[in-house]
Amino acid sequence: MAINRYTKMAYDSADDMVFGKCKHPVKAGLGLEIGGGYTTPEVNYAPRPEAGASKEKLVKEYQRITTDIMNRMVQVGFPAVVLETEHVEQMTNNPTWGGEVAHAQKTIMEEFHDEYGIKCALRHTPGDIREDRDFLGLRGDKFNVLMESFEEVAANGADLLSIETMGGKEVFDHAILRNDVPGMLYAIGCLGTMDMDFIWQEITSVAKKHGVVSAGDTDCSEANTAMFIGGGLLDKNLAHTLAIVARAISAPRSLAAYEAGAIGPGKDCGYENTIVKAISGVPISQEGKSSTCAHSDVMGNLVMQCCDLWSNESVEYHAEFGGTSVQCWSESLAYDCALMNTATATGQEKTLRDLFMLSDKYRDPQGYVLAYDNAYRVGEAIVKDGNDIYLRAKNAAIKSVEIMEEGIAGKLELTKFEKGALADAKAALMALTDDQDTFMSDCMTKYKEEVKVFLPENYGL
Amino acid sequence: MTSLDIDPSDILVRYNVKLEKAMTPEDAAAELYPKDELYRQIAVAIFDGEEDDVIEGLEKAIAAGKNPIALIDDALMVGMKVVTDLYDQGTIFLPNVMMSADAMLDGIEFCKSQSDETPVSKGKVVCHVAEGDVHDIGKTIVAALLRANGYEVVDLGRDVPVDEVIAAVKAEKPLMLTGTALMTTTMYAFKAVNDRLLEAGLNVPFACGGGAVNQDFVSTYELGIYGEEAADAPKIADKILAGSSISALKEEFHKH
Repeated sequence: MAINRYTKMAYDSADDMVFGKCKHPVKAGLGLEIGGGYTTPEVNYAPRPEAGASKEKLVKEYQRITTDIMNRMVQVGFPAVVLETEHVEQMTNNPTWGGEVAHAQKTIMEEFHDEYGIKCALRHTPGDIREDRDFLGLRGDKFNVLMESFEEVAANGADLLSIETMGGKEVFDHAILRNDVPGMLYAIGCLGTMDMDFIWQEITSVAKKHGVVSAGDTDCSEANTAMFIGGGLLDKNLAHTLAIVARAISAPRSLAAYEAGAIGPGKDCGYENTIVKAISGVPISQEGKSSTCAHSDVMGNLVMQCCDLWSNESVEYHAEFGGTSVQCWSESLAYDCALMNTATATGQEKTLRDLFMLSDKYRDPQGYVLAYDNAYRVGEAIVKDGNDIYLRAKNAAIKSVEIMEEGIAGKLELTKFEKGALADAKAALMALTDDQDTFMSDCMTKYKEEVKVFLPENYGL
Repeated sequence: MTSLDIDPSDILVRYNVKLEKAMTPEDAAAELYPKDELYRQIAVAIFDGEEDDVIEGLEKAIAAGKNPIALIDDALMVGMKVVTDLYDQGTIFLPNVMMSADAMLDGIEFCKSQSDETPVSKGKVVCHVAEGDVHDIGKTIVAALLRANGYEVVDLGRDVPVDEVIAAVKAEKPLMLTGTALMTTTMYAFKAVNDRLLEAGLNVPFACGGGAVNQDFVSTYELGIYGEEAADAPKIADKILAGSSISALKEEFHKH
């Protein structure tokens, strides 16, 4: 399967982007059309730790979770839902476990669909198990087990196939803890994209074979690591100006899935997805204010601006006052979607989009750059050199710096520390070559020396 | 494009901007450096995270008659304390600590290479990532902060089998064990480690944190102390050195 790079934008202007609609909607599961004019809740969950003790316990746990969610959806009258099962490692390492869970879940969803007509789809996200104790092993034996896992879930009921890949993480973890912007660029923009090119062609082949959807990825392993280390306004672990540079670089990495045959919806925790949607026109899942059960962020409303699925990231299955945790969070998500769909039905979707965006735009530099108007501009910088994985990632980083500098001149307040980190990042970016081969060669030498666990063969290098 | 815009001060507060200290990190560090010029040069190089300058400063100090092993405490650790104090105060950020710690470790290796003596650390800590879990950036940060605070770290790496953790505690006799995990399913290994340590009569404080790990879970096992942030690890170790019991540690660090 060929790689088809994006060299132009899917949308003529940022203003054309709204929630619930995309250029290329995706039909999936039982009656759903994602991005076809309405938003849909995507509920995520994790089994209680003790459920991982055996296959039988896990299957039973997921049956309970699925039944609880579907019940709550029909009890409150919601028309559609997507369930996402992010595998615990046992389910991917033992591919038949994942297959049995998918089958059990889908059986329940079909029963609800048959009885109530509720539209629904099941996403399965095997864990990226391609590593051993000491090293990433992206193309080794574990790769075969991973693809077996995709085969099993696709054959047994999963409608949407996703993963959160780890490519580039060994270099990224080293770079992010040292304010090393060229290292971040190499890790995410180059190594990460090369791995995405490799694995998404394979996942797409599996999806086509089974007639299901090759959905999409996220740079959770890197850009979200930066966001989480960055933390809240008062945390002192990473400048948020650097976290958003990592995020901008992650957009072309996540885009690579669609260049290799995926069609969306992109994964919820890809905060870079507004940029990806602007370029590709695929539907996206997002998470924010309704994923506080899993983690905090500083743009909880803003990320709803252009979502097609609206997710809670993950919540452990347990009892709450209002039912089980998955019932509470699915209901909360579904009410958010009802509001967005009401805005669409009354022609107010752009107003609501802008309210979501403006309520967080100046909260933090991360939200400022990801505001859909600015995200669109990052997208334009990417497609300008869309065929060069290094240059387009570098362009994204530089554009994010420019946008923040404009913000500082306006209403975006930054600390001296954040401004200093931004200036250092800019200087590092401006000192870089425009030649991919030179950059790759220099980085290979540097990181083979500095990062003991970096194995170039993981990337076909 | 939207014509809507707002005055953000009506709806949010950038508390970090509001509370930022007037003093620059460099100015704050300058007030803390040692007075002795030989030591000061090394401390500045540590603060700047410049390995080559650290070695150059150590060479000068040794040429001037300073004991290489004494330089670890008198210059390298003093420089590192400037960094960790400013980190604790919120004046500098984690990457500065990581880069300074790299420079300090290079300096310690250089000092050891210049002497037959063996340096004495504040104490030994065994660090590991839970069995089944390969997410190790949290452990990397914990290990760096412990080293930055003068502790010797035995880093067992990631996805460490319970047996191996127990064997390491038996062999190394650390003052503290740390465990990190990202996933709820893997953190259950901590409970197994706790039970096996107790069976073996090893009442070593076991500081746990990361990702999905929470205080409620860590509170369920006897040796467990929940560390909400990586920066808690050296603070817990310091308290152990000062004589705190596990129950006292739980009382202090279990904040919720």
